[in-house]
Amino acid sequence: MSAEAVRMEGIVKRFPGVVANAGIDLTLNYGEVHGLLGENGAGKSVLMSVLYGLYRPTEGQIYLNERPISIDSPAVAIRSGIGMVHQHFMLVPRLTVAENMVVGWETVRAKTFLDRPRIRQRIEELSEQYGLGVDATAVVEELSVGEQQRVEIVKALYRGAEVLILDEPTATLPEQEVAALFDTIRALQDEGKAVVFITHKLREALTICDQVTVLRKGEKVGSVPASEATERQLTEMMVGRDVVFEVQRERLESEGRPLLQLAGLSAVDDRGVPAVDEVDLTVHDHEIVGVAGVQGNGQTELVETICGLRKPRQGRVEVDGEDLTARSPRDMARKGLVHIPEDRHRRGLVLTFSVAENAILGRQYEAPFAAGRWGQSKRAIGGYARELVKRFNVSVPGVRTAVRALSGGNQQRVILARELDREPKVVIAAQPTRGLDVAGIEFVWEQLLEMRREGAAVLLVSMDLDELMTLSDRLVIMYQGKIVGERKPRDTDKQEIGLLMLGGAVEAS
Amino acid sequence: MGVLSLDLFVAALRLATPIAFVALGETFSERSGTINIGVEGTALAGALIGATVSFFSQSPWLGLAAAVGVGMLLGLIHAIWCVYLRSDHVVAGAAINLLVTGLAYFLTRVVWGWRGTSASAPILNPWLLVWTMVALVLISQIFLFRTPWGLRLRVVGEHPKAADTAGINVYRTRVGYSVLNGALCGLAGAFLFNNLGRFSVGMVGGRGFIGIAAMVVGNYRPIPAFLAAYLFGFVDALQMRLQDVIPSHFSIMLPYVLTIIVLAGFLGRANVPAALGKPYIKEEG
Repeated sequence: MSAEAVRMEGIVKRFPGVVANAGIDLTLNYGEVHGLLGENGAGKSVLMSVLYGLYRPTEGQIYLNERPISIDSPAVAIRSGIGMVHQHFMLVPRLTVAENMVVGWETVRAKTFLDRPRIRQRIEELSEQYGLGVDATAVVEELSVGEQQRVEIVKALYRGAEVLILDEPTATLPEQEVAALFDTIRALQDEGKAVVFITHKLREALTICDQVTVLRKGEKVGSVPASEATERQLTEMMVGRDVVFEVQRERLESEGRPLLQLAGLSAVDDRGVPAVDEVDLTVHDHEIVGVAGVQGNGQTELVETICGLRKPRQGRVEVDGEDLTARSPRDMARKGLVHIPEDRHRRGLVLTFSVAENAILGRQYEAPFAAGRWGQSKRAIGGYARELVKRFNVSVPGVRTAVRALSGGNQQRVILARELDREPKVVIAAQPTRGLDVAGIEFVWEQLLEMRREGAAVLLVSMDLDELMTLSDRLVIMYQGKIVGERKPRDTDKQEIGLLMLGGAVEAS
Repeated sequence: MGVLSLDLFVAALRLATPIAFVALGETFSERSGTINIGVEGTALAGALIGATVSFFSQSPWLGLAAAVGVGMLLGLIHAIWCVYLRSDHVVAGAAINLLVTGLAYFLTRVVWGWRGTSASAPILNPWLLVWTMVALVLISQIFLFRTPWGLRLRVVGEHPKAADTAGINVYRTRVGYSVLNGALCGLAGAFLFNNLGRFSVGMVGGRGFIGIAAMVVGNYRPIPAFLAAYLFGFVDALQMRLQDVIPSHFSIMLPYVLTIIVLAGFLGRANVPAALGKPYIKEEG
């Protein structure tokens, strides 16, 4: 067996009112990828933040190379050879790759000046050694998400990391870049690094990890070699019950009524560059149409244009036969088109407002929520919100709680409750399960299928191919603003869709 | 051209000096994430305390040290308010401006019995401070872009959390550069006193605020900020000469009018540090 790198013993971390880690033991070995699996809030990130010196443990002891060590700041962790790639990258967009990598750990000459040539050389060496293709002189804001992640990895290696923590590295990564990340992780493993891979995606954990430790509600449920684990077993460990992840997507006959019709729709992005290019698309009643595509190929702009948030350059948007091109979002919602926005914090909710206030956003001017011209009926709003919270199973202390205090899953429930309760004809759902845990995903999927059952047309934009394959009746693929293909999930596979997403021409079979 | 003589350019350098000191100090402060509009008052405090100490000790050097010292003290107070107590930066700065103005009237009355002015006191050759300013501008430019400390400073103002995870102490950095800003504003005040030989309540006359404008126009870079300060100094020097030609009520307005026009063109285009004015709340550690 390989040598022990880190041993965490009985780690307890208490926050006011919460026990985030309740006595967790964890052993990391050199040359091993260790998966840390658990739902959101299970304590994975907290445990690793303890190891990286961001949090001080309430109790417990950490051993590095079998010697006890007290890591009370990231500076100590870095010096001890522990590196961390955070889920939200710690990079300054406006600085160069080299500047971002060396800050706090600079190579200097004459004890005063940044030694740029030597810094660049070292970055190139590391980049080559691990096949990362990182350009030291590039400005970070011009890089893709995957490239930024590679910068973060090289940043940790530059600081001499022997133990590397990857916090949800695939959460923001497009499907195509995941394979490249896995290659990198294997290269790190071959170099004898100890790698921690935090995730809530089972399949990924089983693919890349040697050992998987599962946390639930701050406690360690167990640790198993990946080769002996099954998805079902891990799911059970994660959620504490046997979740059947096969959703019930029954056969439904569409009446063939086109509820959402897009004709030659074109739009430009914020910089004025064409983003949506003559999109024709129809979604019928009782139908879910999935939109696949690598991020940044016009999906965001397409959704905004449909919902009235962005002016189309040309083309038409029709809802149930009525031309609603370039109408305001309020009009669209009144005509039965609702929107579950991709960025729930910026577009979906006002974080500092209460659950009740968020529950009526967009309808605050209607009776019974509005009282007269200037007033609001607190009673009607509160009563309605309480009813929604109950019906959609939002777990909140009360409807006057600020939405900011809710977990991601519960925030998304508030949005779904608000939008779907309007009995829409058309649902535009953009990345509806991003960042949610298993229970949250299951809930969103059920709701979307329920909409389909009730006869709505659902347009589902997602980065998660599994989600699209599971839910969609039809799948369209967007590439550079155009729809470049259409498939039925049962007639295709992820490889083919992935190829189309990258603009590869697939011979029609 | 009688007006555009060499002395005009020399006078411009001299008039640019207090503006450039402030612009330089504010560049450091804002690069680290702290807005300090108290620079106007801090410069005034430098002039006031510099004059007072010089008057009593009869040593202009002690006066200079006191001016820098009071600037640092005000910078520290501002930093404690903004960094640790997370108060609004603009309100904190305004408080300093009000505090110092009040103090100036009070102290001049108590010490000299006059409203807002001091008696003359021993001074240094103001050119000493002019050349100090020029040297500091050059050193700062190199410091900011070619040294590890400059890089850390820039990261703290752009993405404090990234700095924190890279092992840099965000709070200490911000406090340190706030104190440095205070010291440079103290030097601005010291220059004004040594230039005139006495203290007067109106002697800063908006040069602190113009210094902030120069920093914005210079896009948070020392040398361009100095050039912007020089432009303001130049217009100030020019207007003094134009007083014979046009009524002084109008010519005195020139530097201020220029500030408004130039800023209108530059604001919004500048590379404002991303975390400027936002308190950094370190998660419980």
